[in-house]
Amino acid sequence: MPSLSEHVMEEIRALPPQFPDVRTAVMPALDLAQEELGYLTPEAMSEVATALNLDPGYVEGVATFYTLFHTEPVGKHRMYLCTNISCKLRGADELLEHAMRAVGVKDFEQVSSDGLFSVEAVECLGACEYAPVMRLDHAYHHDLTAGKIDALIAERRSPLPLREGQGEGPKPAAAVKAPRAPRKKKSDA
Amino acid sequence: MPELRGTTRGPVLTRWFGTENLHSLDVYEGLGGYGAMRKALTTMTHEQIVDEVKASGLRGRGGADFSTGVKWSLMPKESPLPMHLVVNADESEPGSAKDRYLMENSPHMLLEGIGIAAYAIRSHQAWIYIRGEYDLPFARLTEAIGEMRAKGYVGDKPFGADWPLDIRIFRGHGAYICGEEGALLESLEGKRAQPRAWKPPYPAQKGVWGRPTTVNNVETISTVPWIIENGAAAYAGFGTEKAKGTRMFTVSGHVQRPGNYEMEIGKTYRDLIEGLAGGALPGRTIKAWWPGGSSAPVMPGDLLDTTTDLDGIKDVANLKGHPIPPLNMGGRTFATMGGSGGVIVMDDRFCAVKAAHRLLQFYAHESCGKCTPCRVGGNWAVRAYEHILSGEGGPEDIAILDRVQEGLQGGRCLCGLGDAAGWVIASSLTHFRQEYEEHALRNFCSAEKAAVNA
Amino acid sequence: MPDVNLTIDGRKVAVPAGTLVVEAAKKLGIEIPVFCYHHKLNYVGACRLCVVEISPGPPIARIACGTPVAEGMVVKTQTALAVEARADVLEFELVNHPLDCPVCDKGGECPLQDFTFRHGYPTSRIDGPRLHFKKPVPLSDKIALDRERCVLCYRCTRYYDEVAWEQELTTDERGVQSFITSQFDQPLQSIFSGNIIDLCPVGALTSRVWRFESRPWDMTHSETVCSRCAVGCGVTLWQRRGQLVRVTSHENDDIDEGWICDRGRFEYTDVNDPSRHRTPLVFGAKATWTDAISAIANGIKGKGARLGISLPQDITNEEAFLFRKLLDGPLKGAKVKMHGRTALAAPDGPTMRIKEIDDARVIVVVASDIEHDVPIVDLRVKKAVSKLGAKLIVVYPEGVDLDRHPGTVHVRNEPGSAAAEVRKLASHSLLQNPGGPVGILFGDGHGTEEVAELAAACADLAQKTGGKVMPLYRATNERGALAQGVAGWDRLDGVEALFSWGPPPTAGIPPSARFVAAWDHLPRDGYDRAVVLPAATFAERQGSYTNLEGTVQFLRPPVALRPPLREGWEVLAELAAALGLTLDYAGIMPIYQALSEQPPAPGPEATPVLIGPAHP
Repeated sequence: MPSLSEHVMEEIRALPPQFPDVRTAVMPALDLAQEELGYLTPEAMSEVATALNLDPGYVEGVATFYTLFHTEPVGKHRMYLCTNISCKLRGADELLEHAMRAVGVKDFEQVSSDGLFSVEAVECLGACEYAPVMRLDHAYHHDLTAGKIDALIAERRSPLPLREGQGEGPKPAAAVKAPRAPRKKKSDA
Repeated sequence: MPELRGTTRGPVLTRWFGTENLHSLDVYEGLGGYGAMRKALTTMTHEQIVDEVKASGLRGRGGADFSTGVKWSLMPKESPLPMHLVVNADESEPGSAKDRYLMENSPHMLLEGIGIAAYAIRSHQAWIYIRGEYDLPFARLTEAIGEMRAKGYVGDKPFGADWPLDIRIFRGHGAYICGEEGALLESLEGKRAQPRAWKPPYPAQKGVWGRPTTVNNVETISTVPWIIENGAAAYAGFGTEKAKGTRMFTVSGHVQRPGNYEMEIGKTYRDLIEGLAGGALPGRTIKAWWPGGSSAPVMPGDLLDTTTDLDGIKDVANLKGHPIPPLNMGGRTFATMGGSGGVIVMDDRFCAVKAAHRLLQFYAHESCGKCTPCRVGGNWAVRAYEHILSGEGGPEDIAILDRVQEGLQGGRCLCGLGDAAGWVIASSLTHFRQEYEEHALRNFCSAEKAAVNA
Repeated sequence: MPDVNLTIDGRKVAVPAGTLVVEAAKKLGIEIPVFCYHHKLNYVGACRLCVVEISPGPPIARIACGTPVAEGMVVKTQTALAVEARADVLEFELVNHPLDCPVCDKGGECPLQDFTFRHGYPTSRIDGPRLHFKKPVPLSDKIALDRERCVLCYRCTRYYDEVAWEQELTTDERGVQSFITSQFDQPLQSIFSGNIIDLCPVGALTSRVWRFESRPWDMTHSETVCSRCAVGCGVTLWQRRGQLVRVTSHENDDIDEGWICDRGRFEYTDVNDPSRHRTPLVFGAKATWTDAISAIANGIKGKGARLGISLPQDITNEEAFLFRKLLDGPLKGAKVKMHGRTALAAPDGPTMRIKEIDDARVIVVVASDIEHDVPIVDLRVKKAVSKLGAKLIVVYPEGVDLDRHPGTVHVRNEPGSAAAEVRKLASHSLLQNPGGPVGILFGDGHGTEEVAELAAACADLAQKTGGKVMPLYRATNERGALAQGVAGWDRLDGVEALFSWGPPPTAGIPPSARFVAAWDHLPRDGYDRAVVLPAATFAERQGSYTNLEGTVQFLRPPVALRPPLREGWEVLAELAAALGLTLDYAGIMPIYQALSEQPPAPGPEATPVLIGPAHP
């Protein structure tokens, strides 16, 4: 049973001609796979490899090198808290502890029991003037406090649907994502 | 729109910052944007642009500090293979956020610069390698390229010039090392981002996909339209005899007004930290500051009068009686460097050993694992720091740090990441040796005590 | 090009331009230690062990493996900086190393051990917890990986990607957490996997077949030729107390460039099989050589076409020469079948050399899955394509590993139509202006192709393009046997008597055979009803093979042939005598001399055109 839907596979197969070398398509392909599954399973990596005429080992090596690819399950909302020097000087360590306590996880691999959250301390997010900073759901959250973290968590726990790209930046423009055929949920596959 | 923290209406890069919707093409063009690209593509030759940029004295703002015009002139005049401009937008240096500031507020300034630079080096396809975490800059750039395409500024005949141009964006996926030129090209080729060891060939001979390539930083390219518009002499009017122009600084940490500031090169770090950024928090004194991201060796707090002159800052005379750390850059000793312009400020309530430990964790975590000293040395140093901070350390741990910093510097590592890790240890250990000894020998931290007492 | 002059540690040396400093030093006998550098792999600059100081240049550590020589260059390997930098790297390598040398198979031939002794610090300052990995990890049933011993030189993964064009071996994670792994921990599948054992500079990759078998200093070795196929790769056979305990590669740039396939590396344990025949047997009972040979002579004499003979693929040239005399004399008319041979005929002239593949600008591979037929030729083709820029055209019905290169042109022909496709290639754009030599490698499609027609088509194409042909024989000494006219391709069913040399015929012993003689080293089904002669193996035998390109190479057996085992030529001479033919030779060399002096053979009997199922 393939783990990636036919839509995604079609998109992946369409990638190589866009680049001078097929290997350049590996990361964009893994993005598509991760977007669909939440994380990269060995099956998904193998399917990507097959679509690009590479050995799965190549894809595995690339996927495990970069920190934005996950090869273990992660929460629906992954909180990336910067703990590097600029944020640390402004209290990031305490916020990290707070966030982990608030969603009830003990380490970065754990997913909260409701499946909604996981937390990860990350290196500098490049928004040092706003320290401490967190990246959550494809948006940055600035001047972080324990209260702000609690509010962001509460918002995501509420049954109301979340706006895409919610954060302190504007909603990414429509041009960011090409319109895409409706995709089957994993459970339908 | 996130609140702007930093310079608006500065002399060069931020001259239009603060204008509402500067990120849209209409607004940018209404202010005079794309005049330089039009001028370059319709009235100038490749060589004229390269010469103009050379004459301006512009140097690479990613940290390497190499003449941009000279770099461009290394590209072949003819090539059987396509040639590429690759913009390094993988800004990941701790303490550095200025590329993000430029891209999310004025994406067209970068894109206009790309149009000019690509034409100058005879490239028809430019790539922006942007770090994957930069959601808003990515969105802004994508939108902006769409606007350019609609107007024909990229495409078959931008501004009617017979110079087809395409700008593509490639997203990184979380690896500091991708800011290193060779690693970035490897990553763009879809590989594990490990720096390239072979030089020569240089990227201008054999870069991405084996094709002649020039890699430039976001700020560098963003400066180009201003230079073309106002002329090299005007740009060279800023700065000092040797270091021309203005540059962006990100000031973060223990200051009153963290932000991204555009400042003329040659002014002092006191002008920046105490002037623009408001100085230390009330009641505190600055203990340490990093002039150019975490990779630039740390400086003691009483040396804020050091000038931002890119060459002068390296002079050990700047240390004014402080002990000279065993720092080695290409076989030469130096005090510190301007780096990426990410200025991190730390005051007397924070432990210097903990700060260095955190930075070493960063270099160990971001080591690609290719070369031995960086892969093992960084991790070994982290363990020594942990031992010291646990209270169970001793002089032998300090000896290990001393040993490791030397083993990382002076060409022993494959790329600059290893050297930077060595510099972190060497500079911190020299300037704050007393704190190391407090921890290692007495299990005591004067900074924390000061914080508790306050 | 004139040589470049440089000075290393005060001694002058002249080497060709482009030579790396590390190789120039080697020429002077100056050791610059390396882990990641390997002369057959692309330069990577990872281990930083080969540090030297070079002027002109800044006073920094420079790596000798990444610096080409330059005129007037002065290299110093013994400056304080260089000596200390090397010692530092060795210390770094040992920070997390388990130091389990007493139980490590690499001990005694381990560069990490040797370099630490010669270039490292005399004392250790490492006194802390070490990083741990699960160990050892089986990469396949042949190879074990110990990640704690690994120094991450990336020789193994680079070899896999660059040379074998496979990525099933990869590096996971990054930084100090990086480790080598097979993809998703699945067993390695590649037929070329074993070379990573030879490449590994530490005890991280070891042979599970040899594991804990013996210490390097406990073995003797000899450099000889592999007996597994027609390529004729150099191998080193290692023996300990009369047992063949290990096979490693032995670099021969003309043929194998230091690589061998897993068949050659791991398929040797039958040599040590305790159930091996040591004495002749007559219907299950031990017998003397004289009795057994006369029993055989009686059983096969005068049978004509009612006698079937099965020959081994690794018959030596000398044995084939003697056997030809039997076939011309007392065994005239017998049906002969050689194991594992192709349907290809003997070449009618010189053929392309393996090393000439390097020079080819266009390579055409027809009717052969060369990865499995002639593995090391496959690697040579890959090198020519990915490192030397040759273009590649494949004519084969199914997918092959050469398709991994994006530039490969693959013509998927209907089985049996290869010749027609080759004729069409004459107008292919790649062959219109190849820009240099063209190599045409062709097999027999495992019996699916009309070989005479295919050979003719390939020869025509070679003529049109100014190229050369290389028939891809498969059986070890197929080309030598063809030259001696013994490489028969007869059906053996229906024969009354069978002389089975080597393993039994693939189709089994014909039921019609009322008399069976077997000359074999292992017991097999049906041998209790046969007269059995014990055979020497490739590890004990003398003689020569002619490889697929026509190179004659002599075996140098590492294992002494212990009586009552006897050399094949001796047995053949005695059998001839029992059949009334005198073959009086004093040893292998006189036979080879006679073989060389014989006028060109009247030519082997025409190989029958074979269309049908794959022939073993």
